[in-house]
Amino acid sequence: MTGNTYTLEFSGENINAVKHSYSPSAILISALCYSISVSISTSIYALIIASFLPFKLIFEKKIFFHNLSKLNLINIFMIITLSLTWPEIKSGFLMGILIAVRINMIYIAFTAVIYPLGTSGMYNALCGLGVPEKMRVLIILTLRGIYIMYERLEAALISVKLRTSNLHGIMKLRVFAYLTASVLLQSSIRSENIMRSVKCKGGFNGFNQYENKGITAADTAFIFIFILYSLSIIIINYA
Amino acid sequence: MHISEGILSGSVLIAGWAGSIAGISYGLKKTEPEKIVRTALISSAFFLASLVNVRIGPSSTHLTLLAPMGLILGSSVFPAVFVALLLQAVLFHFGGLLVLGVNTFVMAFSAFTANLIFGKPIKNENGKIRVIVLSFMAGAFAVILGAFLAGAFLGLTDKNFMGAVKLLLIAHIPLALIEGFVTSFIVIWIKRVMPEFLS
Repeated sequence: MTGNTYTLEFSGENINAVKHSYSPSAILISALCYSISVSISTSIYALIIASFLPFKLIFEKKIFFHNLSKLNLINIFMIITLSLTWPEIKSGFLMGILIAVRINMIYIAFTAVIYPLGTSGMYNALCGLGVPEKMRVLIILTLRGIYIMYERLEAALISVKLRTSNLHGIMKLRVFAYLTASVLLQSSIRSENIMRSVKCKGGFNGFNQYENKGITAADTAFIFIFILYSLSIIIINYA
Repeated sequence: MHISEGILSGSVLIAGWAGSIAGISYGLKKTEPEKIVRTALISSAFFLASLVNVRIGPSSTHLTLLAPMGLILGSSVFPAVFVALLLQAVLFHFGGLLVLGVNTFVMAFSAFTANLIFGKPIKNENGKIRVIVLSFMAGAFAVILGAFLAGAFLGLTDKNFMGAVKLLLIAHIPLALIEGFVTSFIVIWIKRVMPEFLS
């Protein structure tokens, strides 16, 4: 057990959050329309048209090269796998390249437009799309729970490392399983206490943090432009 | 088990989203308001547990913990998996938003089916060896079913993916064995400490 967990940036979300002039729902719909049109594209001409947006985003933001290099290392592995497992090596290789191009385009679009919204922006976007209240509460509580549980899991991993430095085979899996089960049980007990405190404060009514700004004319125009762009990619693909 | 963006065809993506939305709606309907906090905290605990690397020989893997999630949450596993994968996509850029429907269906359906098949026997069984065997089967079954579903989505996109699908299934066999062992240890621990924790 290495105990490597991904570092959670507690304040990073707010720092990286980008203030958009459009509503999160409009941004999410537009980015999804674009990525759907890219994901079904097989024609080189359609992909050339689709590549205008990623190129524009790369030149505007200039932050992708490090992440893209990591992503493309995985893509190389995928291209080799497809080349070796496809009925013909050449067509497998070309399919791998096509998928890699599409992955890069969708990744750039999401990294530049969707992910900077942060979890609060994503929450607002889902609310704007009519996601039920139970789901909204679940998202907020899960996000909150991650930070609470992260501290607990980290402490448990450190204590395991200090107590047992040389674990092998089944024993290693057993220790990890007991640790996980213990964290799960603690989380369940904690959830009961949280539920009691929520009830004392008047139920889930105070949980709705959604700021309903409504869809503005600018949002409508933004979505319309992206739908047109996505449709043009699809039409060129099937032409 | 995460399928990346840009691989699946439009119709397959729609099918995945349809299955996920149906599962999430059913799960949300079945989740009582009192159980939302529990579902959320367990979802976050699973989210974190799956980020811990376990070194196996020269390489390392992260566990999916599908079967324990299904056994504990029951039908609430659909919304729990959806939220965990959504947050993984937003916070760590794992998987993606477009394939979120497919990935949710693959993982949540496997966990839910493992609970449907093995949930009652595990809960009612008192013999330690039988519980270990049943839990092992549940853990391994959930991973194999997940890999099979992921393979089916790839195969539906293009028949030529079948070579890669075979490779995917073979690669998941060791993970299924490891998941089986981990699930049996988790279930034994829970049954000893707090048996009512299983759904």
